[in-house]
Amino acid sequence: MKFNETDIINVVIAGTAGQGVITLKRLIEFAAQKAKVDVILGSEMHGLAQREGAITSHTRYQKQAFEDPRKNLQSSLICYGDADLFICLEPVETLRRGIFASHKTSFVLNKRTIPGVMITADLEEYPSLEKIKEVLFGYSDKVYLMNATKLSLHHFNQNQQVNIIMLGFAIATGKLPFIEIEHYEEIIKEWLRNPEDNIKALYIGLEEGQKIINKN
Amino acid sequence: MLDKDNRFTDEEGKVLMLGNEAVVRGCLEAGISYVAQYPGTPTSDIGETFQKILNEQPKLREYLIHHWAINEAVASSECAGAAWTGCRVLNPMKHVGLNVASDPLSVIALNGPNPGAMVILVGADPGSLGSHQEQNERFYTWMLHFPCFEPHTPQECKGFSKLAFELSEKYDTVFEIRTSTRSAHSRGFVELEPIKKGKAKGEFERNIPKYNSLPPHAINNHIRLYERIEKIREKIPELGINRIISGTNKTGIITSGMPFGYTMEALNQLNLNDVPVLKLGMIYPLNYGEITNFIKDLDTVVIIEELEPFLEVKIAEIAQKEGIKTKVVGKTYFPKYNEFSTGLIATNLAKIFDKTPSIEMNNAIEYFNSYKEIIPSRFPTFCAGCPERATLYAILKATNHLENTVICGDIGCFVMSFFPPQECSDLIICMSGGLSAAIGMSTKTDQKVVAFIGDSTFLHTGMSPLAEAASYDSNVLLFIFENNWTAMTGHQPVLGLTEQKLSIEKICKAIGVNWLKIEDSYNPKHLISSIEEALEERGLKVIIIRRECALQAHRWRMQQIRKIEEEGRKVQRTYYHITGCQMCYECARILSCPAIRKTEEDGYDTMKIDEDRCVKCGVCYEICPNKAIHKSIIDALDVEVPFREI
Repeated sequence: MKFNETDIINVVIAGTAGQGVITLKRLIEFAAQKAKVDVILGSEMHGLAQREGAITSHTRYQKQAFEDPRKNLQSSLICYGDADLFICLEPVETLRRGIFASHKTSFVLNKRTIPGVMITADLEEYPSLEKIKEVLFGYSDKVYLMNATKLSLHHFNQNQQVNIIMLGFAIATGKLPFIEIEHYEEIIKEWLRNPEDNIKALYIGLEEGQKIINKN
Repeated sequence: MLDKDNRFTDEEGKVLMLGNEAVVRGCLEAGISYVAQYPGTPTSDIGETFQKILNEQPKLREYLIHHWAINEAVASSECAGAAWTGCRVLNPMKHVGLNVASDPLSVIALNGPNPGAMVILVGADPGSLGSHQEQNERFYTWMLHFPCFEPHTPQECKGFSKLAFELSEKYDTVFEIRTSTRSAHSRGFVELEPIKKGKAKGEFERNIPKYNSLPPHAINNHIRLYERIEKIREKIPELGINRIISGTNKTGIITSGMPFGYTMEALNQLNLNDVPVLKLGMIYPLNYGEITNFIKDLDTVVIIEELEPFLEVKIAEIAQKEGIKTKVVGKTYFPKYNEFSTGLIATNLAKIFDKTPSIEMNNAIEYFNSYKEIIPSRFPTFCAGCPERATLYAILKATNHLENTVICGDIGCFVMSFFPPQECSDLIICMSGGLSAAIGMSTKTDQKVVAFIGDSTFLHTGMSPLAEAASYDSNVLLFIFENNWTAMTGHQPVLGLTEQKLSIEKICKAIGVNWLKIEDSYNPKHLISSIEEALEERGLKVIIIRRECALQAHRWRMQQIRKIEEEGRKVQRTYYHITGCQMCYECARILSCPAIRKTEEDGYDTMKIDEDRCVKCGVCYEICPNKAIHKSIIDALDVEVPFREI
């Protein structure tokens, strides 16, 4: 797909507390600044850190603003059905934020499930990955899954890099236009501890992501 | 990684900031020298940002002080004290914090902050995204006369903060910046301007009429306050903070803050490009001429604002007084509750302008509604290893699942205790409201009355109800959760307690609590018998649960382990594992630890401990009725690193 410079790009990032949703969102926004984007607005949820809650963030940018303010990006929240890209660190969280998706949405999902307390107590049921995929295919055919947690554990012996791997995966969809991979690298060096591992994770996500997307 | 956040050191350029960060930057550019606040979402990270930059730039300490205050009322008076020596001060609080601070602020507003300047920052929370309720605290600006800015972008957060200090000093008036959970935590571009050094020292000059708002000065100061507000009202058009997006439609819109962004995007979606919009940067006071000029040629003006009609009432009043026939509408179409969104505004504007909302949006809503039942709930809950969770378990066991028992909950992490599966809180009022309600309730019922309070809340406003409960020997069992941190808002220190300068135990004794036990919920059997004993007694009983917040304790322990391993020494490791599980669900539903989940092994259902989530508190091991949870210690002869004592 081709984007115009005046298009508003809408990204929903979802996951659970402690997975690095906010870090992932910040990296996209700061990288967009490096890419000299005119308008960036994003909204993030604070206050539930580490308490197992559902976390969602919106990030939006417009490479080139119109003269007319009525046509421009004005709100940090995405309208229902208007997301171009969903980055989901936990599968069922994609469904929870589904109201922002439509036929134009590409979905990248981490396969690793994190059950809420009602699931661990065996009082509610977690839908199967097959069922989640089936619902998402009701939106669009661009539904891609990766086991980013497994990749992170394999390459780094910890799950800290899941969000960066997922960022690489998201880049592979082409739904983060005008931001180059170098911009992300610069930002990772400026803002994250352990930049070597994180840049490596970014490329792992990108390359594995390209394989998954090309296969579909 | 950069060693300093250059967004708070650079003197020029364009940077990305959250609304709260932009407020801090605005304060630095305005020459601030004192900040005091009690933490509360969505304003806690203002204090964290000040703390961070004070650590990164120690030179700022020469003139800038940030205090975590003991409560909001204390913070406001602290700020006034500093302002009255001639300093510029910021006093952040959440919307309900303003209820607590309103007592001192009602007087500080009368007196005026001169020779210094005082800005209060109030974080509203439409949609109750991080609070127990969503009150529309805008009405305080009207009642206590705080001229109030409502920023929409981080750029406005910075610009309005800076302007507020100038005006506050010039007009001897307390100004307010009103953010919301959404605007405080939205990121956007901010243009930097030079940072100004604040006053290191000032001096208080005696002025009895100004600083003693008692009769007759109280009335004079009230008159003087009105004069100042009128001067500010006249000045508004020159400030350039309200703006008009012009259009020829006979129906116009007045809005402010975050709803402005949703409104603009909704108008664009509906192709309503001729609707004039007045965006108010200042919501109190309003300039009559500005409002009149905008509405006089319209047939209808639609006021778009979250929660109760604040602007709508004021604008209708102006129209009525000026004899303007324009119809003022708002809450006829828009809800008085919950947060707004572009979708909600588009749907309602479509009705007003007889348009059809976008098909994509309607399809999105319809499709989402068709499957939403399969989404499992995921509410916030206590972390693995939380001492509060283990206490709730002990209470459930000691009371036979709350039989004939009422739990008066409170604010803190345990505000989550009403959620299933534990459902261990019957009511919530406000900070320390649980104990206060328990005092009254216990006189009128024979049920067992239990109340909760956290350590930070105990110091905030909890000592007073405890003193009353002790005086009346109220038949209440109070749990004080001494976990050493203001945990819910992100682990700010509990003033006095975290640095171990004060003792809640000693305070309780001094207040006159005779039945007092210190318990550790990691020893649940002992705790259960103490609760049983307490509930047999009449009169006031206090159990202090002394155990550090598991998140902080786990972080500390992992740090120690890393340090010891770096020194080349080995550390003893403890593991818990489940074999022979009888599926009684004691661990998963009554303790309800999130690190334990059901799985299948060799065709049988069993509970299993998630190794990466377990913090080795050992409570499940202590409570398993079937002895199916086992403990193994690996390298038992190596260094043991237990949780630290507090």
